[in-house]
Amino acid sequence: MTEPTDINEDEALAGELALRVLSPEAEAEARLREANDPAFAVEVEAWNAHLAIFAADIAPVEPSQGVWPRIAAGIATPANDNARLTFWRRWAVGSTGLLAASVAAMAILLMQPAPAPVVVSAPAESGVMRVATLSLDNGISAMTIAYDSVTGALYLAPTHEMAGDTRVPHLWLVMPEGGVQLVGAIDGTNTSRHNLTGALSGMAGQAVSVAVSMETPGHTPGAARPDGPVVASGQMQQL
Amino acid sequence: MTTLLTRDQLAYALGMTGQGDRAAFRTVYLATSAKLLGVCLRILADRQIAEDVLQETYLTVWKKAGSFDASRASPITWLVTIARNRAIDRLRATAKFRKSTPVDAANEIVDDAVLPSETIERDDDARRLHGCLDQLDEKVGGVIRTAFMEGATYDSLATRENVPLGTMKSWIRRGLLRLRTCLEQ
Repeated sequence: MTEPTDINEDEALAGELALRVLSPEAEAEARLREANDPAFAVEVEAWNAHLAIFAADIAPVEPSQGVWPRIAAGIATPANDNARLTFWRRWAVGSTGLLAASVAAMAILLMQPAPAPVVVSAPAESGVMRVATLSLDNGISAMTIAYDSVTGALYLAPTHEMAGDTRVPHLWLVMPEGGVQLVGAIDGTNTSRHNLTGALSGMAGQAVSVAVSMETPGHTPGAARPDGPVVASGQMQQL
Repeated sequence: MTTLLTRDQLAYALGMTGQGDRAAFRTVYLATSAKLLGVCLRILADRQIAEDVLQETYLTVWKKAGSFDASRASPITWLVTIARNRAIDRLRATAKFRKSTPVDAANEIVDDAVLPSETIERDDDARRLHGCLDQLDEKVGGVIRTAFMEGATYDSLATRENVPLGTMKSWIRRGLLRLRTCLEQ
């Protein structure tokens, strides 16, 4: 067969990312690129569409009866909260757009899962409480956060997922208009309390999602873009 | 129990799911869960783990359905991509606990694979895919297929085929680009 002589590097890299053949390090780098380069993200999406055709060769297998009830339980909300949550979800989805999708897609598993995520209840404070559970890409909880938009009090409760990682976790806000904003370096092992002031406190009240990137020790990324891989993310919800 | 839906019907149900419609979500599940479990099972080879990942997949679908854009992606492609990525993430997360790569076990799985000739040959997608794979070197088509079906990385494919990593990369990169050119025709 004749071989193409010129390989479009971006196109090939997008294909490798979609096929998932890259090493963990190269994949993390490519996911960052996907999150920050819309043209590259479109390439990856196109490759996903092409490669999904392989699924035509996979025979369907009926799931057990017990799977749907577990899914249904996972999406259950109190009946009187349905309308508000639905509204919130529409608003969040509609306003985060491509960036939030990219941030979620960029979340990659770099840490070994711990058997039991810690469930932490939010502290009783006055004001509008916003909460988020940040999950790794495999769905395992990495951290729960609670934020009081009136007082600016921020409470972080990491699970054991980030313990032992030599990199420094940094917390990010994903804003409704699509940008991200650095909150700062956080403790990835123990619970901690912070107080957000100034513009940051207002932004935290509006953020639609939060995310954690892992940065090299001693390095502080720019306020609007992580340099290390984003390992966890979660939507902000009002209590 | 699988419900047969046209692409448009599925896209509509997925769109309604994005608006929080639980009945539509149930419809999406009934129409696609068997296919997605097939995808997960192909990668994870353990029914319990595959069903666990299937559950995670649909919870992700519920959360992300609002971002599905029917004008840009086919609904089944969108769903397969989520399921496959979830399954590969799980595979790689659990692989860290294994002492060695189960090459023999993996080869057995390959042998158990449903042969293309035994499956939905009349399916347009499958026919198109096989037409394009046939244009590739047999070995190259085989490793790309294995990479998709099992979530294998360059490293593990090079080890299995006993070729240098650089050779494997070159095979797959060139093969992918040829495959895409063919599929786009």
